[in-house]
Amino acid sequence: MKENMTAVQNAVSDYIPVETDFKWKNNADEINIDENFAAQSFWKDVILRFFRKISAVVGLFLIIIITVFAIIGPDMNEFTYSTQYLDQKNFAPRIASLERFGIFDGTESMKTTTGSAQVNYYEQKGLDDLYYWFGSDNFGRDIWTRVWSGARVSLIIAVAAALIDMVIGMSYGLISGYFGGKTDMVMQRFLEIANGIPRLVIVTLLLLVLEPGMLTIIFALMLTEWVGMSRIARAEMLKLKEQEFVLASRTLGAGSFFIIFKEVLPNIIGPIITQVMFSIPTAIFTEAFLSFVGLGIPVPQCSLGSLISEGFNSFTTHPYQIIPPIVVMALLMLSFNLVADGLREALDPKLKEM
Amino acid sequence: MGKYTLKRIVTALFTLLAILLVLFILMHLMPGSPFNDEKLNADQREALYVKYGLDQPVVVQFIKYVGNMLKGDLGVSYNISKNTPISQLIRTRLPISIQIGGYAVLLGAVAGLLLGLIAALKHNTIWDSLATVISVIGVSVPSYVFALALSYNFGFKLGWFPLLFSPNDIFKSSVLPSISLSMFTMASIARFTRSEMLEVLGSDYMLLAESKGISGAALIFRHALRNALIPIITVLAPLIVDLMTGSLVVEKIFAIPGVGSLLVNAIQSNDYNVVIALSFIYSAMYILIMLVVDILYGVIDPRIRLAKKGD
Repeated sequence: MKENMTAVQNAVSDYIPVETDFKWKNNADEINIDENFAAQSFWKDVILRFFRKISAVVGLFLIIIITVFAIIGPDMNEFTYSTQYLDQKNFAPRIASLERFGIFDGTESMKTTTGSAQVNYYEQKGLDDLYYWFGSDNFGRDIWTRVWSGARVSLIIAVAAALIDMVIGMSYGLISGYFGGKTDMVMQRFLEIANGIPRLVIVTLLLLVLEPGMLTIIFALMLTEWVGMSRIARAEMLKLKEQEFVLASRTLGAGSFFIIFKEVLPNIIGPIITQVMFSIPTAIFTEAFLSFVGLGIPVPQCSLGSLISEGFNSFTTHPYQIIPPIVVMALLMLSFNLVADGLREALDPKLKEM
Repeated sequence: MGKYTLKRIVTALFTLLAILLVLFILMHLMPGSPFNDEKLNADQREALYVKYGLDQPVVVQFIKYVGNMLKGDLGVSYNISKNTPISQLIRTRLPISIQIGGYAVLLGAVAGLLLGLIAALKHNTIWDSLATVISVIGVSVPSYVFALALSYNFGFKLGWFPLLFSPNDIFKSSVLPSISLSMFTMASIARFTRSEMLEVLGSDYMLLAESKGISGAALIFRHALRNALIPIITVLAPLIVDLMTGSLVVEKIFAIPGVGSLLVNAIQSNDYNVVIALSFIYSAMYILIMLVVDILYGVIDPRIRLAKKGD
């Protein structure tokens, strides 16, 4: 033991330091620095968690792209959503830059009695400078313009309905939960009855009675979707109303209205936003369903649902007419669901995985 | 338990009554009258009013209406097929709708359960991600998009199944509609199964069962799945109700002579009486399903029964 120590001492005393021993080791890569979450605000944390989830980011990206196109898309070419060129019916999609690769060159195969044949209406009619990017429909209207103005209508309806639902459902649930007792009992029985009527029935009957149009559809959607929202708001209120900050506020003389909307509401905004995101795709779907049944937006206006329903009539002969609205709607619903899922997880990381 | 069941039944009855009231009011609000025919003179119109009992006070009309609805007398069709009792119109159509809906629920439940099981057992592998992708798509893409895609590819291009419903080959022509209807059910069930199974698999009693020497299929089916099934049954009920909405459009796409397409036709030809009768049937079915599930839930899981008693 002792011999060993002296050997080490000898070795060390023999060592003469060189200049490189006094340089920085430059090992920044090897050092692990813990990410510091302690000082972050709640919302910063939520945003961080949200953007870490790839599916949610993809969803958000798709929503942004579709929204941008819904805003500028209808004005990107010379056509409008309602102008009909009856001599230019059922033209297949044709895009200038992709034409030379043999795709989107305005050719479609038609089934005739003697087999299928390649038809190009652009060449037949000598319209070389005409480009319908998504083709034209049964009345010679540009599908590109119609799809994006349809997406615009569908988005407006869905977002408006979801926001109005939020206001109604949230207030109902908060008031019911805050006052409790008899008020809660009566409000909850009413809610149970309202929830017992199928959504489909309310919407269908309402649209039969009222004039069809965008406002009517929003109104019908508003009447059906608030129940889920009010349940969430009530549950959160029941959780929060016994906490000290509510008591403190009441001691300071705050009224019920102030406590409900100024004290409790900011604390439950997370789950409510998530619910709004979930109710947007439901609204899009319900609107599309109504259009399909014939209770949707009146012509010549269009929504994604009415475009699908129009395209359905000729979807075996001209499938390109139904594909764009279906793809846009499916992507829209998918991405709202993805964002809502991501938001729910970001807001409540302890939540069990769905 | 008895008190809870009674309370649920009373609520359900009140809901039904409320729906009838709403339907009755709507019927009176409907624009136009079925007797707005220019060829009719005032006397004839009066006679028609008396025939259909429209000359009596509103309260009497309502009580009569409720009585008739509950007896199964849903009135007659004004437009689609004149003077045919609606109950007769429905009687031939309901079995077809129920059959296709039944296939869809069965398919969706079994496929969803399997998908969810695979995802949970192979947690965090490629199978898990695949199942998640399938279920996200299934939840967010509407059923008629699947219906259109399936009918274009398998009905029109490949010709494996009939494009439209044919009464001669009911089984083959209900394959595509059932699949497209089942997608949403399948996806939701898969999601729930996965999350429930993951929770159960991580629980202490699974560890105990494993340490007792149980393994393989017995462990998964007898111990894990049985506990995971309870919440799954509750989500199945609203899904069955959702199927009704889906079936409307899907029945139209495949031209199935069911209740859904009858409702669509009635809406399009302004046959209000049929719309209202069908709305009543849909609501009644909805209320019944919700009631049965609420009661069943307590029967299946003793823990819930006890919790409700403590209330």
